[in-house]
Amino acid sequence: MAVDMELEAVLRPPECPQAHYPAKVITLANSKRMVVREVTRDDVPTLLKAVHPTLFIDKDYYNVVGARIYSELLAWQYYRVQNEFCLVGQIDGIMVGMVNSRMYTAETGMSLHTLAIDRGLRVGAHLFAAKMEHHIEYLGQDEVLIVAESPIGFRRWMIEYGLEPTTIPHELGGAPSYRLTRELYFASKARLVVGDRPVPEELMALAEKEIVVADEAMIREKIVGLRGR
Amino acid sequence: MSEIKITGYKCKACGRVHYPKHEQCLTCKGRDFEPLTPDGNARLLAYTQIFNLPWGFDERFLIIGVGEFENGIKAMGQIKADSLDKIKTGMELKPSWEPVRHQYGEPVYGLKFKPLE
Amino acid sequence: MRDVAIIGVGMIPFGRRDQDSLVDMLAYASLKALDDAQLGDKAVDAVYVANMGGGILQHQTAIASALVDRLSLLPAAADTVENGPASGASAVKNGVLAVASGYYDVVLVAGGEKMREVSGWRATDFVATLTHPEVEYPYGITLPGMAGMFTRLYMEKYGLTREMLTAVAIKNQTVGTLNPYAHVTMAITKEGILESPHSVVNNPIIADPLHLYDACPISDGAAAVLLCPLEMAKKLTKHTPVVIAGFGQATDTHTLQEREDPTDLKAVTLAAQQAFTMAGIGPEDIDVAELHDAFTILEVAESEHVGFFKKGEGGKAALAGRTKLGGEIPINVSGGLKARGHPVGATGVAQVVDITWQLRHELPEGRQVLGATYGLTVNFGGFGNNVLSLILKRSA
Repeated sequence: MAVDMELEAVLRPPECPQAHYPAKVITLANSKRMVVREVTRDDVPTLLKAVHPTLFIDKDYYNVVGARIYSELLAWQYYRVQNEFCLVGQIDGIMVGMVNSRMYTAETGMSLHTLAIDRGLRVGAHLFAAKMEHHIEYLGQDEVLIVAESPIGFRRWMIEYGLEPTTIPHELGGAPSYRLTRELYFASKARLVVGDRPVPEELMALAEKEIVVADEAMIREKIVGLRGR
Repeated sequence: MSEIKITGYKCKACGRVHYPKHEQCLTCKGRDFEPLTPDGNARLLAYTQIFNLPWGFDERFLIIGVGEFENGIKAMGQIKADSLDKIKTGMELKPSWEPVRHQYGEPVYGLKFKPLE
Repeated sequence: MRDVAIIGVGMIPFGRRDQDSLVDMLAYASLKALDDAQLGDKAVDAVYVANMGGGILQHQTAIASALVDRLSLLPAAADTVENGPASGASAVKNGVLAVASGYYDVVLVAGGEKMREVSGWRATDFVATLTHPEVEYPYGITLPGMAGMFTRLYMEKYGLTREMLTAVAIKNQTVGTLNPYAHVTMAITKEGILESPHSVVNNPIIADPLHLYDACPISDGAAAVLLCPLEMAKKLTKHTPVVIAGFGQATDTHTLQEREDPTDLKAVTLAAQQAFTMAGIGPEDIDVAELHDAFTILEVAESEHVGFFKKGEGGKAALAGRTKLGGEIPINVSGGLKARGHPVGATGVAQVVDITWQLRHELPEGRQVLGATYGLTVNFGGFGNNVLSLILKRSA
């Protein structure tokens, strides 16, 4: 659509400076290499293709998470959200998961979502850890506010990271936030955050060449794991 | 020190110590038992640190072990430690009787072990 | 006592089966076994259903009554067998006794469990209900926790290493990729779960010293077998009949702490010995085995306790590849509980189904143990407090 930049200047939220997340590569349980890297607004249409099938998966709150991510990505693409960022995980170029988040203030991060498409490889755990790594280590924030929409998320984030409960309403639905502080992050980092930098050139080139998105039926199969009779 | 509310059962015929209760002795089928309460400290026989706890626990992990008291009662309990770094099979444990979980909003009391040394 | 044959087997793919109820799964597996048997006009006389958790997980009891009705096998006798994670083999054993005694001719045994309906927390709690309700359960002990304590003792006593346990996990998940019924069909590597520094996240500790990939997944699934007298089987079936050559069952103390030597799984040894005696063979005669590897340590310990290896040698044998397909005693060529999954009530029946396929020589290359005549199963209930072993034989 045609963009009226004068009007945009009024509508777009002001953003604070935001550091770039340096890509890393993680060796997974099956020895596959997952590249974790920050993507840009230009990648949003591709990401939406991966998120779309989750809108209709009424299991594990995938539809709730999917619909929210979908809107968050669109809002990011059209500059209707402040200081959002998005990291993707790719194996051989194929997108296996993503996380998004935003800077609420320069000091406080507001964790948005984690979507794992390939399950059983701890892709979600690795990507969530990368998101926290970005908030604390690269964006230099003091804390991240987090809520979980699913039991899997609750267990993974609140318990594994030993997060502090707070009464601060989270942007996602107003539920009381849990807080990851710098101290908690560094206390858990050794067992939760891994990855090698820099990413070897050929792996990075493959990842950047194209974010390959599986077809919708395949994504549904991977997530829901429906098996035949 | 809180009282350890555990009753072991020593077979009057062969002396085998049981915990929990059996109606007949595991060794000789005897039915007469002398009740025993745990005596002194315990020695650690086996232990683990469990993540992925069942419903009802909010902790990130629990360290659970089996201790043997000086009078032969062997019992499971939660070990008070932040990690397994200083936990060793055979080490001495000081027992206490404390809430080990909550069920239906009420504390459930049980055995805890504090590692000594 | 009559010789008892397996004339039909059926299984549905294990995994997460949101679309199916517990009784749906049992019915689908049963129909497969009935079709496989080609019973003709012979009626099913009795049905034994193995299920551990219907009452807790589905709030449904009397599963066998529901299944005979669903299959329209009325007025067949129907019993539900609940014996913890050994329910499956218990139901098979009861079916075998019923046919062997001469009382029933055609018996259907179906095992199933639906565990993914609840969260992992609830499923863990459900399985933990088999521990002692006063002296174990309140402390938060879980089955992985029991296995963790056992593993450490085994390591201390026998020098078992993580590398040996990892070898079991890799072996079973590798062959599991070839099993269309397996829940987990993803191969894992030593690099990814042990050697890489990234393995701390890939393969975290679940119950020290056991890690994530030492444990089976939580699964939905069902399996079924159809039993009849061998003489009838020879007339009815197009398959080479497989007979139950022996079975054994033994119990041990409810709690691990009351065992004189907690590394000694007496019930496994006794169950296997009974089965060997009945079959008139020894461990050296077994061509293929399905052992209850809910945790990698259990495959190792059971391989020793049934007599394939000396105590303390099972881990080394696994590491050396002696338990792989092509090795001297292929263990869990189905992928075992590790890869096939462990819907608790289904497992003991699924083991019999897999061994039956092996003994019929029906499996594809990469899974078939060539020329297999004898197969053994171990179905491990509680933490070794109620164990069954079955020996199946290809009837020449």
